[in-house]
Amino acid sequence: MKDINIVIEICGSAGEGTISAGEILSRFMSSQGFEIMSFDSYPAEIRGFGKCVAHTRISANPIYSPGKLSDVLIALNDKHSISQLFALKENGILIYDSQPARPHKEDESVVGWAKPGMISYGIPLNMLAHKAAGNARGMNMVALGALAALFHVDKLAFTDSIKARYSKKKQIVIDSNVNSFLEGYDWAKKNIKKIDHHSLKGISLGRAKEKLIINGNQLVAQAALDANLSFYAGYPITPATKIMEILSKELPKHGGTLLQTEDEISAIGAVIGAGFGGKRAMTATSGPGFALMTEFTGLSVMAEVPAVIINSQRGGPSTGIPTKTEQSDFNSAVSGGTGDCPRIVLAPTDTKSCYEATVLALYLAEKYQTLVVLLLDFFLSNSIRNIDIPQKPSAEMLDANIAPDKEDLKDYQRYKITETGISPRAVPGTKGGMFFSTGLEHDEYGRPNYDDANHLKMTQKRYKKFNTVLLEAPAPEISVKDKETFDIGVISWGSSAGAAHEAAMTAQKEGINASSFSTMMVSPFPEKDLIEFADKCKKILIPELNFSGQFANFVTHILKRPVERLNFITGRPMASEDILQKMREM
Amino acid sequence: MEPIESAYLDEKLETVKDIDFLQYRSTDLPTWCPGCGYFGIVDAFYRACRELDLKHENIVTVSGIGCSGRTPIFINSYGFHTLHGRSIPVASGLKLAREDLTVFAVAGDGDALGIGGGHLPHVARKNINITFLLFDNSIYGLTKGQSSSTTPYEMRTNSHPAGNPDTPLNPIKLALSYGASFVARGYAGDPQGLKELIKEATLHQGFSFIQILTPCVTFDKENRTWKALKENVYDLNLHIEEKNMETAMRMAEHEPYGVGIFFQDRDRLHYQEILRNLNAASA
Repeated sequence: MKDINIVIEICGSAGEGTISAGEILSRFMSSQGFEIMSFDSYPAEIRGFGKCVAHTRISANPIYSPGKLSDVLIALNDKHSISQLFALKENGILIYDSQPARPHKEDESVVGWAKPGMISYGIPLNMLAHKAAGNARGMNMVALGALAALFHVDKLAFTDSIKARYSKKKQIVIDSNVNSFLEGYDWAKKNIKKIDHHSLKGISLGRAKEKLIINGNQLVAQAALDANLSFYAGYPITPATKIMEILSKELPKHGGTLLQTEDEISAIGAVIGAGFGGKRAMTATSGPGFALMTEFTGLSVMAEVPAVIINSQRGGPSTGIPTKTEQSDFNSAVSGGTGDCPRIVLAPTDTKSCYEATVLALYLAEKYQTLVVLLLDFFLSNSIRNIDIPQKPSAEMLDANIAPDKEDLKDYQRYKITETGISPRAVPGTKGGMFFSTGLEHDEYGRPNYDDANHLKMTQKRYKKFNTVLLEAPAPEISVKDKETFDIGVISWGSSAGAAHEAAMTAQKEGINASSFSTMMVSPFPEKDLIEFADKCKKILIPELNFSGQFANFVTHILKRPVERLNFITGRPMASEDILQKMREM
Repeated sequence: MEPIESAYLDEKLETVKDIDFLQYRSTDLPTWCPGCGYFGIVDAFYRACRELDLKHENIVTVSGIGCSGRTPIFINSYGFHTLHGRSIPVASGLKLAREDLTVFAVAGDGDALGIGGGHLPHVARKNINITFLLFDNSIYGLTKGQSSSTTPYEMRTNSHPAGNPDTPLNPIKLALSYGASFVARGYAGDPQGLKELIKEATLHQGFSFIQILTPCVTFDKENRTWKALKENVYDLNLHIEEKNMETAMRMAEHEPYGVGIFFQDRDRLHYQEILRNLNAASA
């Protein structure tokens, strides 16, 4: 039981309940004490009969990546499932409809395409759904029933889970879903001879610790509320829209205001306006919106006004691939905009750290009076994990503005040069603190000043502040620490970090002496830590989800030595299997 | 660094400062050309603040880029000189986050109707409670004399030496059709009259829009000159409170030099009131 680690994919056509079946499965498995990670893929179009895949990894041990290949494919739709067979392991299990509504021609049936080593279990999904509820809608539940029967899952507990999922629906909906599940369960128990070795028998038997089942977008919104967000402005864009939708409902309850703007320029402008007013404010967008917001990044840095931008990356450039994941906005986040423009960039490495990163982003923006960009991606935004309920931010994290004292206000210099680079910041309404902010270069009072010595001095001030941020950088995550040297060091960022850590740990078991390094703070970059790690490694590998190796270029510049690169733009999350394969070849 | 020496005789300033509207003037020396209409605008602004007795620390003036962008420097209050065309978004965010402040957004004609033209419809239809002053001199001044969105057709400019090929926008018509709840036109050469408009606009609860006719003495020698304005501008003696859109539109179309309040809807809720009501109703 301890080594249960299984990937299940449910594949169907939009509208067949594929995604909701995946959701029920992962919620139930979480309640049984397993770790889960699930990630759905669906077409960019709302209507139509596009292919949907609900991908769920279930494990008794910590999960770092979604798993490249599946152990089980549940085919709700034969046509789409044929094109999903590539992701089923060579010895994987195929659950398919043995009595489809319309007889298939030979090459239309998914089972006809299964490879010889695969195990196929035919279940009359359509027939049993009709039997249970009079229509085909319950096919997804029939399939879950069969899965439960085959994998030794607690029948009663599972039906409770289904009831809970539909608790707000009419009784007839609950009944037909539960009945469909039971039909599938009983039929499979009676008719299928199990020839695989898999089991999903619960490990905690209902005594599982309370977990939060949540995706990155939801967690970002929750963290922002917990961190005293007071103002949000945004414009809809996939995959960040959900953050605005959640906050639209929740922020007013917390006394805050949400503004849906006419475009992303206006959104970041309004955020900077609220920041100028001394309130915590943020916006969320994706690449194309971030391109527009880049207009304002310089003002936040130059006028030293707090602002937080969440950029959930998707396939680029331009409109690109809106519903696929990519890590290709690294360059624009770290350096997009005008002039010498130091800004903080945080990239959470897993779902859980989305919370921590959001709290940190709002804190750092306020304290350092600057722009913080938080880089998510489609995968982090939408993949679902079960995590421990995060700890609420401490009081110190919630009130970070360094306000001017009486002495400062005698002759108030808004941009006074200090040891840390941080100048005490008055907010409008403060008597004696009146100042004028501008995107023009200015002196310590804030008055425009184009003198070259002044420009140098004030640029140095902004960089001094930027470097002070490093003192508060979260410690880098290093997977294997207890050795002096490594043959391979994997350096990664963002959502690829989980796969990199998993690959390094698996490599150790295979006899490859490897470790991995990732950091949430990518700007300013903890260069010392990076160099210290890299000095222990004979070879360096940098996997990332973009074509040109944006992060690898950045790291190479710091390390001044050649690195191996591994780049994918498949639109799928990073797979530890691919990193491991590359390590074997190195 | 030592503070820049005051542009005024400090003693003299001290004596007038406490008793009059000049207390709203900062000690920074305006960078506008001698004879610029903007001096008249800020004069009206200081007087309006004085008569409304606004607390300095509760005023924020947000500007964009261009000659008008410098305005906040010359006001003794909080000020924010932002980006070209973006004073409206920044002022909106500030006001929504800090309802207690009196927020002014200022912009030039290129600023507000050219690069920032996409923001005006939305701040107006949302009815965000800020006062917007359009410094309309119908030319790009800071970049030295190119055609703007309100430059007359066929007028010769540095970007169109053969004559401006574009038909100018009518700011009052735009503001009316976008749904602004307060629409007025003022004149930089009549600070007293303009002061009254700014006062009305500031007291108005909702988005208030004032187009201010002003010359660019340096780059427009043929159209909106002091001479032309003096000859043409007249008081419409208009204050349409009956929400008479038809009259307002007709006036906007036919009276390009008439000053006064074209439209005011005092009953309409401003954005935060609307949000509060909707959220309370759905809670």
